[in-house]
Amino acid sequence: MLEAIIGLIAGMSSVFLAYYLAALGHAIVEKSGVLNLAIDGVFVLSVAVAYAQAVYTRNNLLISILTAMIVAAIFGMLLAFFVTKFPISHGATGLSMMFLGYGLASLVGLPARNIQGSIEGLEVGYTIDVHSPVWVIVYIAIILIGLGALFLINKTKIGAAIRAAGEDPAAAEALGVNVLMVRLFAGALGFALIGLGGAIFELSYVQVWSEGTGIGHGWLAFAVSLSAGRNPILLILSSSVFAGLVKYMTAIQAMYNIPQDLAKMLPFVAAILAMVIFMATPLRRRLAPPKSLGKIYFREEKERSEKYKKNCFVLDSSFFSEVDLS
Amino acid sequence: MATQPESSNTFFSSPSKETPIIKLEGITKSFPGVKALDNINLEIYRGTVHALLGENGAGKSTLVKILYGIYTPDKGQIYIDGKPVRIASPMDAIKLGIVMVSQSPVIIDRLTVEENIVLGLEKFNMFAPTRRVRSKIIEVSKTVGVKIDTTTEVWKLSYTQKQLVEIVRGLLLGARVLLLDEAITYLPLEEKSRFYKFIRQFANEGGTVIIITHKIPEAMDVADYITVLRRGKVVGTVPVKNTSIEEIRKMMFGEKSSEITYERLPPGNPGEVLLQIEDLWVKGDFGDYAVRGTSLKVRKGEVVGIAGVAGNGQKELIQAVMRLRHVDKGKIIFENVDITHKTTHFLRLNGVGYIPDLPAKYGVSIENTILENIAIVPTFSSEIINWKRIRALALKMIKEYEVKTPGPETPVKFLSGGNIMKVLVARELTAATKMLVAYNPTRALDEATAIKVRKIIKSKVINENIAALIASEDLDEIFQLSDTIVVMNSGKIVGVFPAEKAKREEVEHLMVM
Ligand SMILES: Nc1ncnc2c1ncn2[C@@H]1O[C@H](COP(=O)(O)OP(=O)(O)OP(=O)(O)O)[C@@H](O)[C@H]1O
Ligand SMILES: [Mg+2]
Repeated sequence: MLEAIIGLIAGMSSVFLAYYLAALGHAIVEKSGVLNLAIDGVFVLSVAVAYAQAVYTRNNLLISILTAMIVAAIFGMLLAFFVTKFPISHGATGLSMMFLGYGLASLVGLPARNIQGSIEGLEVGYTIDVHSPVWVIVYIAIILIGLGALFLINKTKIGAAIRAAGEDPAAAEALGVNVLMVRLFAGALGFALIGLGGAIFELSYVQVWSEGTGIGHGWLAFAVSLSAGRNPILLILSSSVFAGLVKYMTAIQAMYNIPQDLAKMLPFVAAILAMVIFMATPLRRRLAPPKSLGKIYFREEKERSEKYKKNCFVLDSSFFSEVDLS
Repeated sequence: MATQPESSNTFFSSPSKETPIIKLEGITKSFPGVKALDNINLEIYRGTVHALLGENGAGKSTLVKILYGIYTPDKGQIYIDGKPVRIASPMDAIKLGIVMVSQSPVIIDRLTVEENIVLGLEKFNMFAPTRRVRSKIIEVSKTVGVKIDTTTEVWKLSYTQKQLVEIVRGLLLGARVLLLDEAITYLPLEEKSRFYKFIRQFANEGGTVIIITHKIPEAMDVADYITVLRRGKVVGTVPVKNTSIEEIRKMMFGEKSSEITYERLPPGNPGEVLLQIEDLWVKGDFGDYAVRGTSLKVRKGEVVGIAGVAGNGQKELIQAVMRLRHVDKGKIIFENVDITHKTTHFLRLNGVGYIPDLPAKYGVSIENTILENIAIVPTFSSEIINWKRIRALALKMIKEYEVKTPGPETPVKFLSGGNIMKVLVARELTAATKMLVAYNPTRALDEATAIKVRKIIKSKVINENIAALIASEDLDEIFQLSDTIVVMNSGKIVGVFPAEKAKREEVEHLMVM
C-alpha cells in the first residue's frame, strides 16, 4: 500500500514540477500588477521550442530548456513593457500574445517534427525513473525554490518593489520604484519560469510533439496560481493537487466511470473551490490579488503632446490614493 | 515679493543677501478649465518654516506637487540654491533633498513600514533584505518623537501614523526641504506639540519646511513666514512676527473673513428621541472590540458631538450606526424601528445623510463626475435616473457651497482636496432630512468654509428639526456645534455634558485619560 502511494507520488514528480514552476512564474508576473493572459500561449510556445531544440541538438536538454526559458522571458518583458509604457488593456495585450504564442509554436514545432521523423531512433526528453532517487531530488528542489521565491518576494527590496508595483504603481513610483524596470524584471523572471515549466512538461512528461501540445496546461497553471493566492508555499500544495488530477485523470475516470468532459473540468472546479475557501477565511487579506492587477498605468509626462495628454488625462492618483481605515 | 528674513529670526538665519534655497519664478500651471497657478514668484529661505495658506482650490497642493515633481509647470523656472533645476519626477525631487508628505499619504497599504521606506533608499541594492533598514528607521523616528513598529503592514496604521511614516521616510532620504501638505492636522494635541518641536529643531539645524494647513493659529505658532495664495496667485508673504490672525484671514478670504467665528452656534431645541443606541458592542478591524457597551441618545433638534482622540471607537460606532459594521451585541433604534439588522440603504431612504472618515475613499467615487456622485445616492434617484433633476441639484450645490470646478461633469478626482470634501458635504447635508451622521465633517475644508458648513448643519438642526450625530477630532468643532458633548475613550463613553456646561479642560482630560 505504502509502496503504491510512493509510486504514485514519484510518478507525478515531473508534471508537478512543470506546473509548480509555471504557476510560480505566473504568480511573480501578476504580483507586479501585470495581468497575465498570455500564459497559455507562451507555455505552448515553450513546449514547442524545447521540443524543437531537443531535436536540433540531438537531445541536449540543457540547451533546449535554456532556449525555451529565454524565448518565454522575451515574451514576458514585451508584455510588461507594453502594458506599463502605454495605456493599453492588459487583457487585450495578453490574449494577443497568447494567439501569437500558439501560432509561433506551430511554426517552430512542425519543421522539427519532420526532422525527428527523418532521423532513425531520435527520441527527446528525459524520463524520471521512479525507482531512482531523482524524484526525491525534484521534490526537495520544489521546496527549496518555494522558500527562495518566498524570501525574494517577501523579504527583499526587489520583492517589495514588485508588490508595490502591483498594489499601486503611481504610489510606488512616488516612493522611488522604477515601475517599468521592476515589471520588466518580474516579467522576465516570471516568464522564464513559465518557459522552464513548459520545457519540463514537454521533455520529461509528454516527450512527443504534435500541433497543440500543451494547450490548456498554461491555463491550468493559471488556475493553480490563483487557487493558491499566488503564494509560493501554498502553490506547492495546489500544484501537487492539480498535477495529481492531471496525471491520474484517466485512471480516476476509469475507476469511477466519470465522463471525460466532466473529468476535464475537475481541476477548474478545484480551483474555484480553493478560492472560495480562502476568501471565506482570514487568509483573504494575505492572499488577496494585487490591488492594481490588470489596471492601466500611465504616467503623465511632459514630453507628450498636449493633445495626447488631454485625451489620456491620468491624474497623479497619489493625491487621492486612499488611506485605509485607521 | 517675498520678504527677506531678518538675521535675528532663526538660529541659522541668514544675512539678507542669502540665496534662497527655493526660488520660484513665474510658475504657471493650468489644468483643463482652470489656471491652478498663475505666475507664482516666491522665495523660501534655508532654516525657516514657511506656511502656505489659502482657501480651498487656491493652488497650494499644486504648488508643492510641482516642487515634488508630480506635476511639471507649464511655464516658469524653479531654482534650488540659486541653480535652475527641472524636477520631472519625485525621484528628481528626492535627489535635490525635497520630500513631500501629502494630504493623503502616498504609501502602499499592503507593504510593511520598512518595505515602504526601503523602496526609495538607494544605498540598499535591489536584492538587499528589507530588514536591514530597521535600525535606521527606529533611530530616525526617535528624533521625530514617535514610535513605529517597522514590521506592521501599513493598512493597520492610522491616517496620522501613516503621515509620520512618510516624514521618517523623508528624513531617511536625507531631506533638506520637507513639504507638509495638510499633514498631521489630526494629530492628538500632545503629539502635535512634540511634532512642532521637531519641526522647529529641524529648521534650526538648517532644514527648511513648507507647511500647508487650514489652521491659521497653528501656522502662526510654528511658521516664520506665511505666504497666502488666492485663485492661483500670491497675495503676499509676511513674517509671522509682524502680522495677526485677522490680517492673514483678510488676505485669504477678503470680505468673507469677517464671518469667521468660533463662538458657540445658537442652541438647538431637543425634542423626541430619534436615534437610540443601547449597550452596543462593535469590533474594529483587528477583531478586538472597538466599541464596548456604548449607550447614547440623539434627539430631534439636537447635535450630539462625540469628542475623542482618533482610534477610540468613534469611527466604529459611527459605522455601526450607518449599518456599515457588524453589531456584535446591543441595539440601534431609529424612529422607533430596530435597525440593528437593517441596511444602509434603508437608512438612506429614510433621510439619513452620512459623511464618513477618509472622504476621498468612502465618501465619493473619485473617478466619477460630480453628477454621478450625486445620482448614486438612493435619496436622489431610484432605478431610473432623472439627469435633468440631478443636474439642477448639482448646480445648486456647486453654487451654495462654492465648489471650485469647471462644471458638474468634472470627475471628482480633478478637484482640490477641500473641494472634493465640499461635494460630499453638500450632497449629504441635502440628503439629511431626518438625521446627519458624520465623522470630521469639515476635514480638509478651509476655515471660512468649515464655519459655513457648521452653520448650515446647525440651521438644519434648528429649522428643519433634524438630529445630528457628529464625531470630530477637532475640539473647536465639537464645542462650536454641539448641544450635547459626549467624550469617548477606549470604546466607552466617559463623559456626557450639556454644551453650555462643558469645560474644555475637563473634556480634554477625559479624552486622554
Ligand atoms: N489634476 C488636476 N486636474 C484638473 N484640475 C486640477 C488638478 N489638480 C488641481 N486642479 C485644480 O486646480 C485648482 C487648485 O487645486 P489645488 O489642489 O492646488 O488646491 P489647494 O489649494 O490645495 O486646495 P485644498 O485646500 O482644497 O486642498 C483647483 O481648482 C483644482 O480643481
Ligand atoms: Mg490641497
